Amino acid sequence: MQKKEKKQIGKEIITTSEVTKSFGRFQALKGITAKVYEQEVVVVLGPSGSGKSTFIRTLNRLEPHDSGTIIVDGVELNDDVKNLQYVRSNVGMVFQQFNLFPHLSVLRNITVGPQKVRGLKRGDAEDIAMELLNRVGIPEQASKFPSQLSGGQQQRLAIARALAMQPKIMLFDEPTSALDPEMIKEVLEVMTELAESGMTMICVTHEMGFAKEVADRFLFFDEGLIVEEGTPEHFFTNPQEERTKLFLSQIL
Amino acid sequence: MQNFYKWGFETFFGSVFNTIITLLSLIILFFFINSILGFISTSEWKVVEVNRRLLLIGRMPPEHEYRVWPILWVASYLIMASIKTWGSPSYKDLLFIALGITIVCVIFTTSSTYLWVLTSLLICIFSYVITSFIGKSTTANNKNKKILILLWILLLPIIFTILLIGDGPKPTLWGGFLLNIILACIAIGFGFPLGILFAIGRASTLPAIKIVCTIYIETIRGAPLVAWLLLAWFVLPKFLPQFWGINEVSVVVRAMIILSAFTSAYTAEVIRGGLQSIPKGQIEAADSLNLGYANKMILIVLPQAIRVVIPALISTFIGVFKDTSLVFILALTDLLQVGRIIPEQDPEFFGRQLEALCVVAFLFWIISISLSNLSKKVEKSLGIGIR
Ligand SMILES: Nc1ncnc2c1ncn2[C@@H]1O[C@H](COP(=O)(O)OP(=O)(O)OP(=O)(O)O)[C@@H](O)[C@H]1O
Ligand SMILES: [Mg+2]
Repeated sequence: MQKKEKKQIGKEIITTSEVTKSFGRFQALKGITAKVYEQEVVVVLGPSGSGKSTFIRTLNRLEPHDSGTIIVDGVELNDDVKNLQYVRSNVGMVFQQFNLFPHLSVLRNITVGPQKVRGLKRGDAEDIAMELLNRVGIPEQASKFPSQLSGGQQQRLAIARALAMQPKIMLFDEPTSALDPEMIKEVLEVMTELAESGMTMICVTHEMGFAKEVADRFLFFDEGLIVEEGTPEHFFTNPQEERTKLFLSQIL
Repeated sequence: MQNFYKWGFETFFGSVFNTIITLLSLIILFFFINSILGFISTSEWKVVEVNRRLLLIGRMPPEHEYRVWPILWVASYLIMASIKTWGSPSYKDLLFIALGITIVCVIFTTSSTYLWVLTSLLICIFSYVITSFIGKSTTANNKNKKILILLWILLLPIIFTILLIGDGPKPTLWGGFLLNIILACIAIGFGFPLGILFAIGRASTLPAIKIVCTIYIETIRGAPLVAWLLLAWFVLPKFLPQFWGINEVSVVVRAMIILSAFTSAYTAEVIRGGLQSIPKGQIEAADSLNLGYANKMILIVLPQAIRVVIPALISTFIGVFKDTSLVFILALTDLLQVGRIIPEQDPEFFGRQLEALCVVAFLFWIISISLSNLSKKVEKSLGIGIR
């Protein structure tokens, strides 16, 4: 348990306070106040429709929030384009549906960001891409197209693509929910390795085994609010809220 | 054999109804074949033979005819090299191409031009052979692709330079098939990129841009091309600077402007359809990589959007190509117009409209069918990587 030692030494890297977000009349987030520390792994739990996706999507402004403040790595997310660019280039995201670029080769999927945003030369970007493909275990797929990969390989490619931007924070929105059971493990292994390497991670996931193993802290969402938060031990041994108990009893 | 007769009899004369249908079909077929045979046996192709120059380049003065040949050579090189590079043609394709070229040559070569035509045939073969040779090395091939794309972009400027340099003929004297091709190239060359911009504009979240683009597209599409050309004839000169000081010159320019605008509006709608087919996740992925608006559009959204609509795009282009014959409204003599007037100009050719129009139709058909084949090829070659 080496990660237990290094935790809590990090400083705050994401601070949200009283964040709200509505879609039309429906309020999906009703005032989220949370903190994430450097190198911390936070798992977000909660029933369907509780606002988990909406919350992590406000963190890189895929969904602009209505009120409250979000500060990422010391920069506030607002209409300022400079701030937005700073945050987006420091926050990587992995989607449930992978969202790979189907018209680009595996290698090009990874290099497009570093080349266009970080201004790397093609050769350097490709070196980095190959390194990352090795890290996620699919170096032999470099010249294929995403549609020629299995689901697990596609999601690992998506992780590599996000990592190529050298983010300080990684967001995962149900990264294994679209995968067949036999492919979930290979993706979780990559995520575990990433967590152990000290990456700050926020994951929405229903994989409780994984969550228990790597999470430093759980956030439990219900109806647009954080109902309960704490360590995995706290959640598994001693949950306080009725809704938490109900939810855990359903998924465990 | 017995069975066959039985089957035949039952199929065609099995019932009263079938018998009637069969007899009717036979009668129609008879008249059809008869009229075709009649046309072939009585046809006089001299009207075409004598007017070959008019059909191809219209009223361009003979002393400027030499300007056409370099254009043909450059085009021959580019087309063959591109077919080899991107088309990966099969033997059937090559046979088709060779047949097309042969027929065109047979119709249009004369004793005074056969050397020029021969040169361009040699260039075709040379281009094909050298491109096959280059194709063996991947790096050289990639470099060659870039050169070819650059040449395609430069093609129109090259054509205009060749046509206008020195003391070139006035553009109003451009005519025949050459005019159709030039107008179509301009219309597509400008209309396509403009159409992309209008499509993006119409899909924009900024209301001002969206409204302007929508109004533009719907206005242009709201009236027939003929109406726009008439408008160009009567109204546009008042707004247009007079190039080269002569009003006449700008008739061709007017046609180009109208055709480009028309093409851009139709292309925009086709591409907008493609834009709508891009899943939201693609845009979110691009945003999460902080690609920025321009990169997101150019690298992620447009390539996928255009790929989806290639068939519709090419049929728009084919339509535009054929629509160029409407410029007769601006008193320009395009291929169709030439075909229409040549039989009337000489008493010897009275009543030879059909022959002239046959050749006109054949020329339009050759280009249209090539574009349509191009569309199939492009679709096929883009097939990999599609979701
Ligand atoms: N773009 C949108 N437009 C309208 N309503 C939305 C939109 N996105 C989310 N919602 C609504 O907001 C609520 C929260 O959605 P969200 O996707 O954050 O839930 P979730 O916790 O991620 O659920 P799940 O586990 O099913 O993914 C839901 O009721 C959803 O219907
Ligand atoms: Mg969700």
